[in-house]
Amino acid sequence: MSDRIVFEDVSKFYGEILGVNRVNLSIPPGITSLVGPNGSGKTTLMNLMTGLVKPSRGRIEVLGCRTDDSENLFKFVGYSTQFDAFPKGLTGFQFIHSYLCLSGMPPQEAQRLAWQAIERVNLVDAASRKIAAYSKGMRQRIRLAQALAHNPKVLVLDEPLNGLDPLARSEMIEFFRASAAEGCYVIISSHILHEVDVISDQVILLSNGYVVAEGQIQSVRSEIQEHPTQILVRCDRPRDLAAKLLQSEYMIEVSIHKDGRGLLLKTRDADRFYLAMNQLALDGIQIESIAPADDDVLSVYEYLIGNEEVVR
Amino acid sequence: MNRLWWTQVKAVIRLELKKTFFAKRGLWIYVVAALPVALFVAYAVAMANQHHRSASIARQGEKALSYQDLLAIKPGMTDEQVVGILGRPPLRFHWTENHPTGPDSPPEQIQHEDYHYSDGQNDLYVGLANGKVQSIHIQEANNLGETAVMFAGVFQFFFLRLAIFFGCLGIFMNLFRGEVLDKSLHFYFLAPIRREVLMAGKFLAGLLATCTIFVTSEILQTVAFLWHFNPHARDLYLYQHHGLEHAAIYVGVTVLACIGYGAFFLVAGMLFRNPIIPAAAILIWEGINPFLPAILKQFSVIYYLKSLCPVEIPVSPGTPGLFALLISNADPIAAPLAITGILAVAMVALFVSSVQVRRMEINYTSE
Repeated sequence: MSDRIVFEDVSKFYGEILGVNRVNLSIPPGITSLVGPNGSGKTTLMNLMTGLVKPSRGRIEVLGCRTDDSENLFKFVGYSTQFDAFPKGLTGFQFIHSYLCLSGMPPQEAQRLAWQAIERVNLVDAASRKIAAYSKGMRQRIRLAQALAHNPKVLVLDEPLNGLDPLARSEMIEFFRASAAEGCYVIISSHILHEVDVISDQVILLSNGYVVAEGQIQSVRSEIQEHPTQILVRCDRPRDLAAKLLQSEYMIEVSIHKDGRGLLLKTRDADRFYLAMNQLALDGIQIESIAPADDDVLSVYEYLIGNEEVVR
Repeated sequence: MNRLWWTQVKAVIRLELKKTFFAKRGLWIYVVAALPVALFVAYAVAMANQHHRSASIARQGEKALSYQDLLAIKPGMTDEQVVGILGRPPLRFHWTENHPTGPDSPPEQIQHEDYHYSDGQNDLYVGLANGKVQSIHIQEANNLGETAVMFAGVFQFFFLRLAIFFGCLGIFMNLFRGEVLDKSLHFYFLAPIRREVLMAGKFLAGLLATCTIFVTSEILQTVAFLWHFNPHARDLYLYQHHGLEHAAIYVGVTVLACIGYGAFFLVAGMLFRNPIIPAAAILIWEGINPFLPAILKQFSVIYYLKSLCPVEIPVSPGTPGLFALLISNADPIAAPLAITGILAVAMVALFVSSVQVRRMEINYTSE
């Protein structure tokens, strides 16, 4: 059994409309975020990896399982979709319970797991109410509960934090982290970049149906050569440090930070800069910290895709 | 089928039955199923009233009459002769007609009388003019044989071809199509269940629903159709004249019709977005079945069902050729062959459905 979610040269067309094109991915365990503007192919990629849509070409395997083998695939995959529709007339509990019963689970076991999932998304009080009477946030949570109910190893979550209140968001993020720490695969699509930045182990950047970049955010950033690296240096004498740094040819721009207690600089060669800083530190300037200022998802997104439809 | 699949099928049936039985958009199916019941109830009420009226007239008569007594009256007899045979009429109407005889002569007056007799079941209407029998009409009591033919007609031409046909259309076409329109089909597709098992569960749920609705209707029709007959005639029909056997066959044909049309409409619901097109196509196909070559006839549900119906509907002399062909069953086949045939047709349709369900994608935006 493979330990990856693998896309091999996958394309999906809806008639003449491109969904995704020539996608090659190998997704390891941990939290992987799909990032891209609306229509970039995030949901298509998720629907492809759960077999809800079939690739026009290419091959997809989730931990060695073909996506058209739904009987086995959904034993270890849970998908919280963006589709905001439910079977008619069901309460929150019935929705989760009947989903678990569909897998052939004994009713008692299904009942236990259903309550466990409902507790996890804090919907116990509303569980006996009809879903039709739920608010948007509650519907989002019950979808999450459905995806989590059978404790899957792979969690595919389309905009899972939409509609959740801040407390529920932080609880869910904690849950995603704990799941990832246990070796689960948590695939999240989001356009809220600061959240992606906080929770992701790796990102997949999508634009117009193409994968623009993938991997850990720092390594993605280091691949982007055309944009100079931004670094924030905290020190006791920023003006002196700025004067010295401007003498080197790899420095493009140096500016005093707004609070006056550091420098924000742009360099073409971060490695040479770090070496130089060792020398400067010896010259009596007290360096408090050196940290990259643009190796977050937001910066990478802006460099690769532009700043369309981004929620910072 | 292994145990897991069967458990999953039961879970699908539980979910689907709730939706099928209580769906607002399916209420018309109950109306369609209830229509023939209402027809037979109305018929039974009318017949019972007529029976009560005949019995009342017979009681009012001077003497107890037999059917032979009623037949003894002939045209040309005098009113005395009629009264001599049948006694004074329990019901009598009379009026005078001014009959013109010429432009200059006064009109001739004709004394008309109507006598109404009954032996308790059959009614005799005697029309007299100036004391002589001019017309005789015997309204015979409703007999079970004729009513059984009427029942067969309603069953074949309304219940099978329209009620069950459209009922199955409403239920089976919505099994997948309805959920695509509601955008909730992904609920099933995200569960660890084989698509074929899901399809089987949905088909069985649809079958259970249609069989419950239409078999109940069929039983109620039979009860209504037999209700107004006296217990002796009823027992004679049920136990001596194969009435019970016929009733069981009608129930069996109803179930087979649900299987056949259900399988057809299940696959149609997956292949077509607009239900009107396949419904019209299948309705026409079933309608022109008698005119099709033998090989094509076999790909039809009605071809097999007609052969299984227990009562042949007689074609009256003078019925136009095409219409007669539609009524009669020109080349009936043996019951085992018919049952096998309809099940085979259903299996072919279910096989196509299982191929189609594996190909289905969730793409609600294209709907």
